[in-house]
Amino acid sequence: MARYTLQRFVYMLITLFIIATATFFLMKLLPGSPLQNQEKLSPEQQKIILEKYGLNDPVPVQYIRYLGNLAKGDLGVSFQYDNRPVSQLIGDRIGPSAQLGFQALVFGTIVGILLGVIAAVRHNTAIDYTATILAVLGISIPSFVFGGLLQYYIGVKLKLLPVAFWEGFEYTIMPTLALSVFVIASIARFMRTEMLEVLGSDYILTARAKGISGFGVIFKHGLRNAMIPIITILGPMAVNLMTGTLVIEQIFAVPGLGEQFVRSINLNDYPVIMGTTIFYSALFILVIFIVDLLYGLIDPRIRLAGGKK
Amino acid sequence: MMTEKQLSPELFELATERQGDMEKINRPSLTFFQDAWIRLRKNKGAVFGLVMIIIITLMAIFAPILSNHTYKEQNLKHAKLPPRIPVLENIDWLPFNGKDMNGINVYEKRGVKEYYWFGTDDLGRDLWTRTWYGARISLYIGVLAAAIDLLIGIAYGGISGFYGGRVDNVMQRIIEVLVGIPNLIVVILFILVFEPGIISITVAMVITGWVTMARIVRGQILKLKNMEYVLAARTLGASDSRIIAKHLLPNVVGPIIITTMFTIPSAIFTEAFLSFIGLGIRPPQASLGSLVNDGYKSIQTFPHLMMIPAFVISLLILSFNLLADGLRDALDPKMRK
Repeated sequence: MARYTLQRFVYMLITLFIIATATFFLMKLLPGSPLQNQEKLSPEQQKIILEKYGLNDPVPVQYIRYLGNLAKGDLGVSFQYDNRPVSQLIGDRIGPSAQLGFQALVFGTIVGILLGVIAAVRHNTAIDYTATILAVLGISIPSFVFGGLLQYYIGVKLKLLPVAFWEGFEYTIMPTLALSVFVIASIARFMRTEMLEVLGSDYILTARAKGISGFGVIFKHGLRNAMIPIITILGPMAVNLMTGTLVIEQIFAVPGLGEQFVRSINLNDYPVIMGTTIFYSALFILVIFIVDLLYGLIDPRIRLAGGKK
Repeated sequence: MMTEKQLSPELFELATERQGDMEKINRPSLTFFQDAWIRLRKNKGAVFGLVMIIIITLMAIFAPILSNHTYKEQNLKHAKLPPRIPVLENIDWLPFNGKDMNGINVYEKRGVKEYYWFGTDDLGRDLWTRTWYGARISLYIGVLAAAIDLLIGIAYGGISGFYGGRVDNVMQRIIEVLVGIPNLIVVILFILVFEPGIISITVAMVITGWVTMARIVRGQILKLKNMEYVLAARTLGASDSRIIAKHLLPNVVGPIIITTMFTIPSAIFTEAFLSFIGLGIRPPQASLGSLVNDGYKSIQTFPHLMMIPAFVISLLILSFNLLADGLRDALDPKMRK
């Protein structure tokens, strides 16, 4: 297990290094510079500004310095937001995004598991079909469309919930819902498949034969075993929530990291784009790393297969 | 101990001779695909998906050609018209009667003789043409993603799985690193460096799109290449390329089709998503994602601007998902749940 963990950890670092390097050199290819109104500045002023951002040094020197700073957690300073450090900008903005993501994940997982279990238990009935159709709709309708529909019908027409902004719990409900649709749908689909397989297995039959109630069999024997593979879809789920926050925060005007990322892309604020990219990637890679390890811990068969490599 | 019964010879009678019939095959033998097609046809969702994909494809090809407007033609006099379709306009509850939020027929009020089937946007561009033009882009992205899967993914996975050893080791390490990088990040970086537009999305997808397919093909090839029929072919002197093309790939066709079919809707979604946040298709070109985004700005007054493209993109992705689900069940009955 220790060797496996170490191996995964090394891959994690290599991947991060490649992302950081690729991001750096791609950014160097980009048109535009931190100098606004370049024509109005005298050559001396331009030189001072470039000096300040370290943009006068040869690219390899910049690259080494960039990697060094990165190792210290320094992501540079923003061109647009009054020279504020990127790490500070990320820190300020991560709260709402994390809250939205967390709420959507918890709500989505609970509803998804319930929906999937009910569909599996009532296999081939109207309830099953309805749940299946809902799940397909859920993975098909893009979150930005669903967010818009919620906003229009619940916010504008019925005036039940605030349409946008971020001023309290009721403001988080619609974005959370919009974000959790995909989570609900994919977990429900997954749960249904797993649950059907588990319910068809011999040990469930044994439990039933011993006279355990239907409820007990489903929840104690069935659900526990069916839930193990759900860990495998946590990775894609994390990516999806991340992508989701990019649009959902824009639609609902949530002051989160995703909203800032999209804005800095439109403003050509390269340090912020770079920093956020690396931050997102690191987060994603970490999730995959943890999922890999968790899976090895929970299901020894995986560990053995992984260890053999 | 069972009590043995005495069986007298009278109990037996001679069987009529029908040896020929025993071996006779009554039903025509079906190929793998005929069999799958029969199973697919029974799946209502898949048939619905297939029909919808065909309809949307036909609309995307012909609607912009047959329309009187081009996707970028502006007519400010006809700006912000609600949808109006002949015949359907007489059905009150359908939103195609040319009336705005207040129930006023804008067409009559402004004296517009023409019918704009899906209405017009704030620059007077015909939404009907723009929606189907956007559907073209979505379908192009879908076809492109499928092509990348089929070309790069199969080749990479096939080579890696078939040759094994050091080649496989190196190729797998590369994949392991690539898998760790979120696709979206690569796509966004590419679009930043090269201008937003269809070409950047294409290039970014070429780089990221094939990894899943390569992994699946490799897994299948690894399993198949040790089968006895492959050994037999090898003993008879078949070349590597012949074994790959004639013996291995035909047996991987099922998983390949399934993977491709699931790639398509997610690629379509990615493009719509990028266009929605302003990184994809640039105006005056239209993509379903950018149309939805444009529609947002006037959702309170002209909801049709958002609803119609949103409906088409959702329907398109839904159809592909339904068809993919159906194909998975049809091609791999073992996976059927």
